[in-house]
Amino acid sequence: MAQNIPESHMQIIRSAKNYEEAIRVASKPLLEYDYITEEYVQAMIDSIEEHGPYIVLADDFALPHARPSEAVKETGLSLLTVKEGVDLKGNTVKLFVVLAAKDSSSHNEMLQSLAEFLMDKQNIKDVVACNTVKDIKTILNERWN
Amino acid sequence: MKILAVCGFGVGSSMILKMTIQKAMREIGVEGDVINTDISDSTGHNADAVFSSPDFIGDLEKRFKNKDVKLYAIKRYSDLSEVKEKVQDLVDSKK
Repeated sequence: MAQNIPESHMQIIRSAKNYEEAIRVASKPLLEYDYITEEYVQAMIDSIEEHGPYIVLADDFALPHARPSEAVKETGLSLLTVKEGVDLKGNTVKLFVVLAAKDSSSHNEMLQSLAEFLMDKQNIKDVVACNTVKDIKTILNERWN
Repeated sequence: MKILAVCGFGVGSSMILKMTIQKAMREIGVEGDVINTDISDSTGHNADAVFSSPDFIGDLEKRFKNKDVKLYAIKRYSDLSEVKEKVQDLVDSKK
C-alpha cells in the first residue's frame, strides 16, 4: 500500500481566523518532527499571495506547498480539518493537506495516490465529517491506495 | 497529443492536475503524454495544449503568443468533470 499520512501528522480544529493561521496550524507536525523549517511555512503563505488560490484543488480542499528547497529536510504530508471552514481568497476550505517536498520527485507516488483520492469528492466530505484523527486514518487506510 | 499541466512550482498542484488529465484521457479513450512543469519552464516544451489555473492564463497567453497552442483555464485541478470537458474540447478541435 502506498504511504499515506501518519496519525501524528493529523489535527482537527473547529475554526481558524484566516487561511494563514490554518496553514500555520496545519504545518505544526511537520515543524515538530523536523521535516520543514519556519521558512517553508512562510514560503507557502507567500506563494498564495503571489500565485493566487490555485492550491484549492477541489471544493473544500487545499494543498499548501512551496518550491522544494533547503527549508525541507524530509518529504512528507500533514493534514488539518477546519470544521467550520476558512476562506482562502474566495474559496471555503475545510481540509488542508500540507505538502513538503524535498526535491521534484520523491513525493510523486504519494501525490498520485492523493490525486486519485481527491477525484472522488465524497472522500473529502467523509474526512471533514470525522471527529477523531483515528477515524480519518481509517478512511485513508481504506481508500488511499 | 501532448498536454502540459502548469502550476507555480511544477511539483505539487501540477502533478495532481496531470493525474486528473490522464484519467480524463483514459475515460475519453485518447492517447497522449502529459507533462507537469512550472510556469517559467513551460515554454521549453512543445505541446498541443496547456492546462493551468485562471491565475496563470494571462501570463501563459503572453508566453505562448506566437505558438499554436490551446490554453485551458482549470478552476479545480481535481475536478474530473471540468478537466474532462476541456480534454474533450481539445480532442474535438483536432478532428
